[in-house]
Amino acid sequence: MLRDITLGQYYQAESPVHRLDPRTKLIITFVYLISLFIFTNPYVFTLAAVFLILVTLLSKVPFKFILKGLKPIGFLLLFTAIMNIFFTDGEVIFSVWKIEATKEGLERAVYMSVRLVFLVFGSNIMTLTTTPTRLTNAMESLMKPLSVVKIPVHEIAMMMSIALRFIPILVDETDKIMKAQLARGADFESGNVIKKTKSLIPVLVPLFISAFRRANDLAMAMEARCYHGGKGRTQMKPLRYAKRDVAAFLISVVYLMAVILIGHYTGSVKL
Amino acid sequence: MGLVDINKVTFEYIRRDEDGNVEGITTAVDGVSLSVKQGEFIAILGHNGSGKSTLAKHVNAMLFPTEGTVVVDGLDTSNEDNLLQIRQTAGMVFQNPDNQIIGQVVEEEVGFGPENLGVPTEEILQRVEESLKVLGMYEYRHKSPNRLSGGQKQRVSIASVIAMHPKCIVFDEPTAMLDPKGRFEVIQAARALNDVEKITIILITHYMEEVVNADRVFVMDKGKIAMSGTPREIFSRVSELKELRLTVPQVTELAWELKNKGIPIRDGILTREELTEELKKYISLRKRERI
Repeated sequence: MLRDITLGQYYQAESPVHRLDPRTKLIITFVYLISLFIFTNPYVFTLAAVFLILVTLLSKVPFKFILKGLKPIGFLLLFTAIMNIFFTDGEVIFSVWKIEATKEGLERAVYMSVRLVFLVFGSNIMTLTTTPTRLTNAMESLMKPLSVVKIPVHEIAMMMSIALRFIPILVDETDKIMKAQLARGADFESGNVIKKTKSLIPVLVPLFISAFRRANDLAMAMEARCYHGGKGRTQMKPLRYAKRDVAAFLISVVYLMAVILIGHYTGSVKL
Repeated sequence: MGLVDINKVTFEYIRRDEDGNVEGITTAVDGVSLSVKQGEFIAILGHNGSGKSTLAKHVNAMLFPTEGTVVVDGLDTSNEDNLLQIRQTAGMVFQNPDNQIIGQVVEEEVGFGPENLGVPTEEILQRVEESLKVLGMYEYRHKSPNRLSGGQKQRVSIASVIAMHPKCIVFDEPTAMLDPKGRFEVIQAARALNDVEKITIILITHYMEEVVNADRVFVMDKGKIAMSGTPREIFSRVSELKELRLTVPQVTELAWELKNKGIPIRDGILTREELTEELKKYISLRKRERI
């Protein structure tokens, strides 16, 4: 059902990873991403893989579930791999017509692919274990210092959470409008890409009109309930760091040190 | 002085064409005065475009009168410093259940008002729990509003207003988009709030059945108050109501039709029980006449 769409693909489970403060998860994910880019060598990558597997086991999210999240990057992966294999100078392995595959290229392709997979895998664990609401709260809280330079952090976070709330409603509405237009003889199926895109106009126009109407209503409802920006606002469920967050930070620091140590002694692979 | 004092209020919409030139002025509310006492349940009736919603939006300072004044709990709405105080005192429940819910979880939604007021965290949690329990929605607190029925959504919206501890709630056609079951739930909730919590209720509607239990009823037409009185007084003037394009409850209409056909039934029948009683009286009278 369309109603069940959850953005950010949250996977409900009781695990230490789920219970962590969203800010902790956000920061650790960031640290992890950085750790993938400092060194390029098999030892560091093995460590990164071990870390990833341990966190996944701890989070109780099935591997299958996370791997499904990798599907959208499949094409990107293939594309970069092919580009790397064929367009890197070096020792030729085989050639197709004028294009030559090189050993260096193959090596680079493998590293790039592994890095990309780890990157998406890692951030998937974060989004799978954190509800969109908590993620928005975390971003608001972490970006708070930016409000000094006049960036409307609270407003951005509010906009994000309202967007998240209205996505299922608008999806529902799109479905309704499409059915209404089908009943009037609209054709969304046949024709080429251009024709198909054009046929969406009678869906998009009413959708936009209704979205503006909803926005107007919502603004009024918010004002009626004394909304006046982030100033003087309290939170029902403020984010609080707990002991487990300290533990998580310590673990990630240990991991980062290990990466740096191993990387320092084994050095990066020359590509 | 009442809780809400509306004094000779006129409100004009200025219609503009695409270039922003004034095309004309529509007077939505035209010199209306009415006063609502603390703890009262009043209903404002009217067909579409009668100005009832526009009038309602004046009570919690969403709109400001072109002429006249609106005073809520001693505070004039035209003074901008009073805005937050007035909106807290007079809460509002709107028509579309989807478009007034901000939170992604029921609990968050109810907490939104108190958060805006700067209520401390512990008290917000307490208020959220209380108001959800009053509306019987406590067990749904972790649900997404998208999964609730229309009636349930409106009850969540009412709970969100209650969490701000208002003295008065304006219901702006809260049942217009609901099925009969949802309508019943919402009206029941409004009545209970009035009876138990002593909250002043201003109900805007075009469903006659919903105003039967109100203390006073105002009927609006073309921006003016056309009729006012208790539900019984209003419903005894069936032909006038029909002229204002309002339909009376079925029982009242049946009683009125019977009376027109020459059966002696008193005016202003509101419930089925009353009509049964009247008809029984009439039948026993006929029997006696025959003997």
